[in-house]
Amino acid sequence: MTSYSKEVIADLVAGTLPWPQTRRVMSAYKDDDRFFKYVAVLQDRVGWKDPILLPVSDHLFICQSGDERVTKCECGHSFGDYRKNWKLKASIIVRDTEESLREIYPNSDLPDPDWMEIREFICPRCGTLHEVEAAAPGYPIVHDFEPDLEGFYREWLGKPL
Amino acid sequence: MDQITTNPIVIGIDAGGTMTDTILVDQDGHFKIGKSATTPKNEAEGFLASAEDAADAWGISLQDLFSGVNVVLYSGTGMLNTLLSRTGRKLGLITTKGLEDMILMGRGLQAWADYSYADRLHAVTHHHPDPLVPRRRTHGVTERIDQFGDVILPLYEHEVAAAARKLIADKVEGICIMTIFAHVNPVHEKRIAEICRQEISAAGADILVYTSHEVRPVIREQSRLNSVLIEAYATSRGRKQLKGIEDVSKKYGFKYGVQTLLSFGGLTSINHPRLHETMISGPIGGILGAAYVGKLIGNDSLICSDMGGTSFDMGVITRGQTRIENEPLMDRFKLNVPTLHLDTIGAGAGMILKVDPLTKKVSLGPESAGSDPGPICFAKGGTEPTIADCDAILGRLNPHYFLGGKVVLQVEKARKAFEEKCSRLLGVGVEEAAEGMIEMLEADANNALRRVISGQGIHPSEFTLLSYGGSGPLHLAGCSRGIGFKDIITFQFAAAFSAFGCTTADFMRRHSVSTQIDIGARAGDDELQAFGTRVTAVWDDLTKAAVDEMIADGHAREKIRTVPFLMMRYTGQLEDVEVMAPLSAVNSPDDMRKIIAEFEAVYAKVNHRVSRYGEAGFSITELGLIATADKVKPTLVKRPLGKSDPVSAHKGVREAYIGGRWHKADLYEMDLLQPGHEVTGPAIIEHPATTLVVHPQDRVHVDEWTLLHYTHA
Repeated sequence: MTSYSKEVIADLVAGTLPWPQTRRVMSAYKDDDRFFKYVAVLQDRVGWKDPILLPVSDHLFICQSGDERVTKCECGHSFGDYRKNWKLKASIIVRDTEESLREIYPNSDLPDPDWMEIREFICPRCGTLHEVEAAAPGYPIVHDFEPDLEGFYREWLGKPL
Repeated sequence: MDQITTNPIVIGIDAGGTMTDTILVDQDGHFKIGKSATTPKNEAEGFLASAEDAADAWGISLQDLFSGVNVVLYSGTGMLNTLLSRTGRKLGLITTKGLEDMILMGRGLQAWADYSYADRLHAVTHHHPDPLVPRRRTHGVTERIDQFGDVILPLYEHEVAAAARKLIADKVEGICIMTIFAHVNPVHEKRIAEICRQEISAAGADILVYTSHEVRPVIREQSRLNSVLIEAYATSRGRKQLKGIEDVSKKYGFKYGVQTLLSFGGLTSINHPRLHETMISGPIGGILGAAYVGKLIGNDSLICSDMGGTSFDMGVITRGQTRIENEPLMDRFKLNVPTLHLDTIGAGAGMILKVDPLTKKVSLGPESAGSDPGPICFAKGGTEPTIADCDAILGRLNPHYFLGGKVVLQVEKARKAFEEKCSRLLGVGVEEAAEGMIEMLEADANNALRRVISGQGIHPSEFTLLSYGGSGPLHLAGCSRGIGFKDIITFQFAAAFSAFGCTTADFMRRHSVSTQIDIGARAGDDELQAFGTRVTAVWDDLTKAAVDEMIADGHAREKIRTVPFLMMRYTGQLEDVEVMAPLSAVNSPDDMRKIIAEFEAVYAKVNHRVSRYGEAGFSITELGLIATADKVKPTLVKRPLGKSDPVSAHKGVREAYIGGRWHKADLYEMDLLQPGHEVTGPAIIEHPATTLVVHPQDRVHVDEWTLLHYTHA
């Protein structure tokens, strides 16, 4: 029943919607068509035509590329099939020394690099930082999640793919 | 009431968030009311439209009206709107070093006050009000005064001068000064103000300087800070609006100055030095009116309830005592302005109704459609169904007599939207759903009333309920059902009762200072004498300040009456009661004992006599003084009771849906009801500005003051 214009959703995504309005949106019942408007706003932002199916992070999307469904950066770089962990094809910075950790925590305590390392996953083409994970040294790269796209569209959005 | 030959002597005008109400009163207590939409941009427009509406009802021109009256009272929304829209003065702040972040930190409750219960629970929605002074224009200066008023660190004057110069360079329009414990000893605030004024004149600038001890020297830093900031921030536009009101009044021949209402229930001229004390004035009128009606009907325990478009305000007078709230909220800022205490819940005819399509949960508000766009049936662009739409759908509101026919209600339009957005989702009929929504609103108000009464520790059967506000009578039956009030009263002038209440107020000043006087339970004569001397010295200072202000406002000294008061508690308690002193000075230990006895009497009245606890000793936390001067007041006329048959007011029959089915409800014109008349439900009693719904078998009778008494079957 609740519904907002695409412009309002665009402002919301960009973080430019004024606070009183943002709070009204937060307090109201969820708008039924939010997901599709949200995706439409993102689609306008990216420079390519493949339809976005699901946003993965701020600048990373699963999209329909021909017959394939791939994970794609906003710049257009493809990380391949969405069921495979896209992180494996990203450029990775591993911070596992005091010196490298100090670069991001210049004024505070550091994690112990023997117990924890920080991995930064970066688009090899445009250099956007897509994801950061903290894991114990030696722990395999985490596969965050593998979405059930068919089920999500059919059962939650009511519009089968 | 038809042939009025006299002219009105008082115009009371109350501009609410939605409507501006006018009441005209003559010396014999005749009155007429007028209504118009509030015009926040230029309040004078709404003021004039509303006054004209009332003048029409009286049958005179605006010129005749304004040239004949002695008093024009106006309580408006100018300052509140300045605050809400953050369009006030550009300010700077000088404070004690270390307290610079006080504005940003605020009080925790300021982040969620006014929120719905659901939003209070969801911390993600919490948000501090936007600060009135940005951090970069807040300067800390080294100084410290402790809680006893002793100087611990001297004022570093070079820091003050540097801060003042920075603020002047920043082109501020006002400099606020608030240092810690300035209410105990203002010496540093005074010196800071002096240095600021020197710097300002050296720079040739035109900047106002405000100090917290002058605005109100009362304990609690955050509220004192907020008060001085809001006074500096919002009052210039507020004063301009009030000046605009005075100008149009004078244009139509008014000879005197316009008066406005203080939050603690008195009148003052629009030149009042602390104009923020008039910000919370609208609903206060209702309590004053209630006290007045209470005297008339001989009951001093009253609940007054005001239902308008947005909120349901409840005020309590317990055995003649009104309660003072010392730290009210204004746009989520805690202030330290003494205010007549009101309990408020979001419940009004403008409440927007929502049905969650997934869970079918119905929620009322808290948003209100206001007057613009208003409910759907107003056909002014509103698209969300409201309670008023339900009232229209159920035939309780007359589509051709709303505001006397000025707005024709589009019932079909409302019905269609309500069906689409509410009743169809719920899977029930339109009428059933609409009545259910109204019952929810009335149940909210009903529960709120029960809660307020149970907080008084007095049985509901002692209380008389006064119901007013544009939609008070419309929902009166449901709001009051089953509580067991002694009596339930509404008024022909219900829609303008707050404005009426304002006209019963006197000119007033209220000055007070914080103090800390602890009197042991077994204090000897010497101690009592010493306490008394301290109290008397403060009262003398306050008397001088208050009387000087009133004389400056044009009142003759011999007309000014002064009554000192104390805020007292049993030692160790957290809340004060306000005690009107039975003496004007304390000259002996026995005088002090009289004051303590008075405190115990008041305490027993507002709580219960068994709750007294003198063994703990007594604490005086605040000393104050109220100065008043009389004003001409309306008197309600008493007329003999006539026949009980209300046929002379009968104007037809209308289909109305009440209690699950359609009834043929008798229709009466409220203004034509005479003392003695009795109406039995189902019936609808209409007035251009309000509607009273009488449920089946319930009765309404009109007493000799022409007050309407509602009796549940």
